[in-house]
Amino acid sequence: MKWLMNLWQTLNKPAKYLTLGSISLTAFVMGIIFWGGFNTALEATNTEEFCISCHSMESKPYQELQQTVHWSNHSGVRATCPDCHVPHNWGRKIARKMEASSDVWGWVFNTVNTSEKFEDKRLEMASREWARFERDDSLACKNCHNYDSMKWESMSKLAQKQMKRAAEKDQSCVDCHKGIAHTLPDMGTARAPQLIAEVGTGPSKFTNEQYYFSALTKPLFFSAKGDVEAGTLNVATKVKILESKENRVKVSISGWRKQIGAGRVIYFDFGINMLTAQLSKEAAKTEGVINGFEEKEDEMTGLKWQRVETTLWTDAEYLITEQQPLWDYARTTFRSSCSVCHTQPDEAHFDANTWPGMFQGMIAFVNMDQDTQALVQKYLQQHSSTFVKKEH
Amino acid sequence: MKQQIPDMTKEIAEENQARAIVYNFLSSLFAKEVNTDLVEQLTSKEGQRFLSSLSLEAKLAAPIDDINTKLTQLNSEESLLELAADFCGLFLVDGRTSVSLYAGQYIANEPSDVISGNNKADKIQIFGELHQQMTEFLTNSNMQIHSDFPEPADHLAVILAYLGHLCLSTSVDNQINFIETYLMTWLADFTQQVKKHDAGHFYAAVAELTFEWVKLEVND
Amino acid sequence: MKEIIMKRRNFLKGILATSFTVISTASVLTPLTALAKIGAKNRDDWLTTGSHFGAFKIKRKNGVIDQVKPFDLDKYPTDMINGVKGLVYNPSRIRYPMVRLDFLLKGHKSDTTQRGDFRFVRVTWDQALTLFKQSLDEIQTNYGPSGLHAGQTGWRATGQLHSSTSHMQRAVGMHGNFVKKIGDYSTGAGQTILPYVLGSTEVYAQGTSWPLILDNAKTIVLWANDPYKNLQVGWNAETHESFEYLAQLKEKVKQGKIRVISIDPVASKTQDYLGCEKIYVNPQTDVALMLAIAYELYSNNLHDKEFIEGYSLGFDRFVPYLTGEEDGIPKTVEWAEKITAVPAEVIKELAKTMVAGRTQLLMGWCIQRQQHGEQPYWMAAVLATMIGQIGLPGGGISYGHHYSSIGVPSSGAAAPGAFPRNVDEGQKPIFDNNDFKGASSTIPVARWIDAILAPGKVIDANGAKVTYPDIKMMIFSGNNPWNHHQDRNRMKKAFHKLECVVSIDINWTATCRFSDIVLPACTTMERNDIDIYGSYANRGLLAMQKMVEPLFDSLSDYEIFTRFAKVLGKEKEYTRGMTEFDWLTKLYNDCKKANDGKFVMPEFEQFWQDGYVHFGEGKPWTRHADFREDPEINPLGTPSGMIEIHSRKIERYQYDDCKGHPTWMEKSERSHGGPGSEKHPIWMQSCHPDKRLHSQMCESKEYRSTYTVQDREPVYLNPADAKHRGIKNGDVVRVFNDRGQLLAGAVVSDNFPEGVIRIHEGAWYGPVGDDGSTTGGAEIGALCSYGDPNTLTQDIGSSKLAQACSAYTCLVDYEKFTGKLPQVTSFSGPLEIGA
Repeated sequence: MKWLMNLWQTLNKPAKYLTLGSISLTAFVMGIIFWGGFNTALEATNTEEFCISCHSMESKPYQELQQTVHWSNHSGVRATCPDCHVPHNWGRKIARKMEASSDVWGWVFNTVNTSEKFEDKRLEMASREWARFERDDSLACKNCHNYDSMKWESMSKLAQKQMKRAAEKDQSCVDCHKGIAHTLPDMGTARAPQLIAEVGTGPSKFTNEQYYFSALTKPLFFSAKGDVEAGTLNVATKVKILESKENRVKVSISGWRKQIGAGRVIYFDFGINMLTAQLSKEAAKTEGVINGFEEKEDEMTGLKWQRVETTLWTDAEYLITEQQPLWDYARTTFRSSCSVCHTQPDEAHFDANTWPGMFQGMIAFVNMDQDTQALVQKYLQQHSSTFVKKEH
Repeated sequence: MKQQIPDMTKEIAEENQARAIVYNFLSSLFAKEVNTDLVEQLTSKEGQRFLSSLSLEAKLAAPIDDINTKLTQLNSEESLLELAADFCGLFLVDGRTSVSLYAGQYIANEPSDVISGNNKADKIQIFGELHQQMTEFLTNSNMQIHSDFPEPADHLAVILAYLGHLCLSTSVDNQINFIETYLMTWLADFTQQVKKHDAGHFYAAVAELTFEWVKLEVND
Repeated sequence: MKEIIMKRRNFLKGILATSFTVISTASVLTPLTALAKIGAKNRDDWLTTGSHFGAFKIKRKNGVIDQVKPFDLDKYPTDMINGVKGLVYNPSRIRYPMVRLDFLLKGHKSDTTQRGDFRFVRVTWDQALTLFKQSLDEIQTNYGPSGLHAGQTGWRATGQLHSSTSHMQRAVGMHGNFVKKIGDYSTGAGQTILPYVLGSTEVYAQGTSWPLILDNAKTIVLWANDPYKNLQVGWNAETHESFEYLAQLKEKVKQGKIRVISIDPVASKTQDYLGCEKIYVNPQTDVALMLAIAYELYSNNLHDKEFIEGYSLGFDRFVPYLTGEEDGIPKTVEWAEKITAVPAEVIKELAKTMVAGRTQLLMGWCIQRQQHGEQPYWMAAVLATMIGQIGLPGGGISYGHHYSSIGVPSSGAAAPGAFPRNVDEGQKPIFDNNDFKGASSTIPVARWIDAILAPGKVIDANGAKVTYPDIKMMIFSGNNPWNHHQDRNRMKKAFHKLECVVSIDINWTATCRFSDIVLPACTTMERNDIDIYGSYANRGLLAMQKMVEPLFDSLSDYEIFTRFAKVLGKEKEYTRGMTEFDWLTKLYNDCKKANDGKFVMPEFEQFWQDGYVHFGEGKPWTRHADFREDPEINPLGTPSGMIEIHSRKIERYQYDDCKGHPTWMEKSERSHGGPGSEKHPIWMQSCHPDKRLHSQMCESKEYRSTYTVQDREPVYLNPADAKHRGIKNGDVVRVFNDRGQLLAGAVVSDNFPEGVIRIHEGAWYGPVGDDGSTTGGAEIGALCSYGDPNTLTQDIGSSKLAQACSAYTCLVDYEKFTGKLPQVTSFSGPLEIGA
């Protein structure tokens, strides 16, 4: 066992003296030895028992998985550990196992042997997995879920829009679908994390008849419970809370819509293209969802506009009490992102209806996620010459 | 600087020291603008003795005279600035009334590339072969250009200062050889151009002084 | 012999006896330091850097740049790479901070008529920056922020950290406020009109991917568009992937799979390369041709009524103009033939072709850089709407496929940020004054000379009123308006009115010569930086590794303005306490974070050693596909959210030179029988150069000599016109009109039709005295010795809408130059009057 002792010594050396490869390789070898020796075929390592015997998952991720649709569903298909966590091609499989051996390292050296330690490391471990999914183009997911065989018609409009956009780019699934098999690590939010870090996720209790503002673009629902989407609420939009029920709140949204198409899009005010909410066709058609009031013709376009109000449900998060923090964040982002190539124009240089055209025409070089883009555009419109009378 | 001259007589050593002083003096005039300190020094008793000792050589007398005349006029901030503008227009920019201080702008690799003063459009890139060559000489002599003087190594001030060093460190043959290769090949053209473009006449005199001095060095 | 030796010995002894030593000037030599000993020799391996002209690898010899070769991933490098070395080791380098003598002596009361032709003195950086600050103090105290214009426009050297405008504006912004610009010279009319029509500037937007165009288009129309020439340079380090698609297009043209029709007065480089079909059109008459195509579609019921109905507004307001109901002139093919010289039959066939299959319109930028430049872009959008293929792959319209790799599928990676251009939040400038005294704080980019000449004047601009500020001081950094602005002689008059001009640059541009304080910046080879490569494709990140120490007394932009901030007492606020490398690391790590989980990026040290990170291929994408799919949910950014064929908003401005719908309007000057053509019959095209990026690289001597004629910028002449004037290839030609005159070298070519000449913009301005002698040049009317076309162009706004540059509305005449040929002065330092 002298060689094993030597190996132990090597492993006990501080990691900085070893290359990552040598850590992984030896750890992988060690893992297999502890499990049962070299005489096991690689395929045998591809079973759940094998994984949880070493990967310290019995208490945590494995149990979390058992609560999800990936474990139990009406079709009877079950995703087990290797289905998602071991790549389906051989080269990557070996590489992956080398990578996984750092988890063994963790078990051996007690970095994640308690629940607290595991939670501390959860984000790091999850991030590593997400990165791997990205690298593999989420092949593991796509083995069962395929863009081509998705039934678009049965999706909500919002889901359709987002899925189609993702399909077009063959986007990695976990870009959006995180936390579906195990508990999501505490990471604030996957969407616009810097924005949320700045403005917060909003209060846990709401006062009825008070106004709140959306911190992200949020899905709207028909009811307090159901998951049928009725549309989306644009970021930085003022809503009135009517009632709270469990994790949802009922909100009243008011604005104006153009009398074109199905009249699904609600804008901030008459003749001003500042997005408030977009409803699904179903919602727009459903009696009583949108209440229409007076109509006016916009001289700038010749289009008829109608004042509307709608009452729908949304999740009781990302609704904040003040609008100013959103504008502060947007202002900073605008000033830094839009001055990389040229000096950013003053907000009040254009009017509210000109800004979308100017902004959309320039964002090719700008790195903003969709929520931030929508927010910055709204910020520019809200602080445009339409509202701020200023010499320029 | 090492001054090991065991095989030279004291006399030769003194001569070489004198020559080194002249080279360093000339180098300093091409390195930067004339300032109050230099005017004071040159118009001081010692400075005047130095200049008159140079003007004992007939060929140097005329330019020294011109320099002295100009020195007496340098009695105000403005007059110094005017002279600085002369220096700048002649040596620090490239234009129709400027004259390059870089040997590489005169001596090129092939004879057909020798550049005449009237055809400045054909100037070659700076920091060229001659810069490399001079850098190598300096490195071999354990020297480098001072960080306050961010110029290519084929700058006239560098060549003159290097000669000042050679006076104290190598055989006269080597010195003459260096002068003939790296100065006499272009100094006539240079001097002629400075005379043509220097409206203030100070640098025309300095250039002539340098040219005549170097001629004396190789001829005598 | 012995006597001579004795005489010389005595002479030398006499010198030594004076015991004079030069103490006032320390020797230029010093003992070799150990560091320098190894420094000169080390890292003579290949290093990486990039530029607008391409990304490349550089090998040094003894610390001097020796060889330059293309970056491994650049499969189509341009030969401009041969000019790179010449940019660095250039006799025209600004070597030291310098101040114009009269300005140094008299400050803001100096004789400004000397500008462009006078004496400078060398000063230290400290002196120069202190003078700079004192001038700013004086302007802010006496005039307030409206007295200072530091809102420059234009390109720069690449690099996210050292970007020249960002540094200058951040530092100057810490001192006080100033007048800014809106728009740019390249696309001024286009980027103003298109948001009204297509809801985005379009000119700088990503376009439909080339693979989709190549797979789906049956016809591609290149309208005044020369991508093969213009794609050589990019906004970031250009790696020329578009050329792969142009090669595929060439193959498809050859196989007859795609028809490419180029509509252009001249035979372009792209036409020659693709071997495509050509339609000649009289200069500045494109709108008339488009109207006739529209008329043909409409009158034959070939337009896509369903698309027009579902996706656009205002067609009903446009048709009466088209048919002549509105103005009595039906825009028929016969009507257009008279104006455009395009035969009626050709127009008819063109109209049929456009709707016969998938047709992609690819517009160039030239036709919007003229008087009423808004109209061709608007009318082209109307045409594309009538064809009805907007939002389909290989159909619709693009205004950018000749620019910076637009159309190459983008990697989708996040690009690095940049050194902040704005003063950090919460900080106040020293002169915290926002009182522009009733004048506008932002003016249309090309109207600044107008403003200097006529302060207080009120003009219309994009629906608003602009009151010209009274500008007394200008600052330019990495910026050469004496290239990009029009009408040099008008500029001279304006510059005589300025109290102070500060210019920071690499080489002595004309702008530097017209300045009072001139500061030397180093080139990209002399600093460390970071950049995207592949421009819009964002193919990867490039380490821009320092090749040599800054030449002479030049400094990096970061260092210059850090020192300036120190003079302002705000060094810490400026740098945030970070060094050049701290910033590089931050920009890299921020980018790495933004790409986390999507693109693998190594640690900064590894990246710097490797020289680049590759983000990989992108996925094809179709412009406006989402709008086409659901215009209600994905509206355009127009007032209505639809394509606006007629704009009520513009109509309400009541401009006579930009009405509610696209309109054909006669120009102030037009060749081929148009106004002014009797006196000056030739139209001058001053398009983007083939061998430069605007004026960048013109100074690279060795490379320039590969295309100059008798040291002059080439002027491309029609053989018959040249013969008529007794001019042959290689002659020097004087080109002139009532605004100015220049010399250029004749290149006679069949590519240029009668009545048309071309001089590429970016040719450096080098005025000489009227008689062509070696003196003078500052005077109004001076002859440009090299061939800067903006000596001749008009300084007028495109219209009351965009107020954009109209360089293409320019008539000239030319003759053989028989006088004494003056030396080219464009690449000189300041020139002396009396010499």
